[in-house]
Amino acid sequence: MEEAILVNQVKKCYRLYLDKGKTLKERALFKKRRKYEEREVLKGISFSVLRGEAVGLIGQNGCGKSTTLKLLARILYPDSGEIIVNGRVSSLIELGAGFHPDMTGRENIFINASIFGLTRKEIKQRMESIIDFSELGEYMDSPVRTYSTGMYMRLAFSVAIHVNAEVLLIDEILGVGDMYFQEKCFRKLQEIKRNGTTIVIVSHSLEQIEEICEKSIWIQEGEIAEIGLPKAVHTSYRNYMNQKNIRENS
Amino acid sequence: MRLLYEIYQYREMICSLIRRDLRGRYKGSVLGFLWTFLNPLLQLGVYTLVFSVIMRNGIADYYMFLFVALVPWMFFSVSLTNGASCILSQKDMVQKIYFPRQVLPIAFVTSQFINMLLSFLVIFAVLIVSGKGWHWIAVYFLPFIFLIEYLLALGIALLVSAVTVYFRDLEYILGILTMAWQFLSPVIYSIEQVPENLRTIFLLNPMTSVLTAYRDILYYKQIPKIQTLCHAFGVSIVLFAAGWIVFKKLERRFAEEL
Repeated sequence: MEEAILVNQVKKCYRLYLDKGKTLKERALFKKRRKYEEREVLKGISFSVLRGEAVGLIGQNGCGKSTTLKLLARILYPDSGEIIVNGRVSSLIELGAGFHPDMTGRENIFINASIFGLTRKEIKQRMESIIDFSELGEYMDSPVRTYSTGMYMRLAFSVAIHVNAEVLLIDEILGVGDMYFQEKCFRKLQEIKRNGTTIVIVSHSLEQIEEICEKSIWIQEGEIAEIGLPKAVHTSYRNYMNQKNIRENS
Repeated sequence: MRLLYEIYQYREMICSLIRRDLRGRYKGSVLGFLWTFLNPLLQLGVYTLVFSVIMRNGIADYYMFLFVALVPWMFFSVSLTNGASCILSQKDMVQKIYFPRQVLPIAFVTSQFINMLLSFLVIFAVLIVSGKGWHWIAVYFLPFIFLIEYLLALGIALLVSAVTVYFRDLEYILGILTMAWQFLSPVIYSIEQVPENLRTIFLLNPMTSVLTAYRDILYYKQIPKIQTLCHAFGVSIVLFAAGWIVFKKLERRFAEEL
């Protein structure tokens, strides 16, 4: 089988400015303050994802899983190592990018979908099913500022899910809307997967990952601690977390 | 090449950003889109009052002399000053989602460019109403000079928008710089009025030949000199390439620096 994603020895440092002068005055006067600490968030990780496979990234807060996702999405660039992603990528990292509050739901679908790189024709083809999925048909011609948060997220999710990407990156967003809509999103995700889309999910909900993914990657302090079947990896992850709790409580 | 193709794929994003910009700009104001036409006309009124009524410079039909250079200048100066913040103001998008970053300056400059073309409708209207008309063959050169100025403005916008991400002062420095630049370009005067020995220095300014070409076509009703066009084209290509290269280099850390 062909690889959809290949990550090879990727390292990423963030510059943590202790006190960054962004203006001329500050830069000229406080030269010393411009020192920054380089913090290595990813210390050389490698993994690959096959076409049509779904992979979950798990780990503690700040372990580097969101950074990995952003690297896959090409929002960030690695300092060294290489990342190859084959096919059109859609990232559900941020929902509703480019939404304009004064414009109607329909106009915003247009803007938002175009940011995902869809052409006018493609958007027109999908318009109906986007509106159907969001179940917001009767509100389509009112400005988005009149929407509730839940409605806003539903619309945004509908657009993102209709991009028909070959690789779908998802960061903690399966908590959209009410229980009913969450269930609907999850079913949609499974349907997308059945159609052969490669999926990478960052989530704290291990159950969700177990339900949809073939593989789990546990990242621990910028390194891969374990890769394997979700159930197995999650068992060692849970054990590790329990031990950590015990250690801290004693 | 791959990048160019990718930008082409995101053409719908460019279009919808332009639409959002043009339609959103005057939202809530009473006169709305009319401001696109009123703004240059009001500026024209002020300049004409100062330089033609009060300071009396002796140039025939000074309002027309000024108008055909002022409109292109305003396009350029807005691309420079407001273009600087076009990445910064879309911070959320840049941090959260992938798209070729060049899309933002391209959309911004193009929407300003469309604005300028609309203002040219006013110029032509004035030419008709005042009975001056135009020289048809000379007018055929107008699209070339539009293209040259567009490239120039886009190059500069790419450059300053990328640098502003790292160095926020640039936005404010540019405000003053643009004012100085305007007075050092032949907007309110013509290049012939500049002392002979300073003219070579003036030609280093890419806007000098661009504005001269506009004025040749629409005010003097003559075909612009071929050297003026070549000079303008050469400089804008160089600046465009410089802007493109610097942008590509700096864009890698955009998401972190914002």
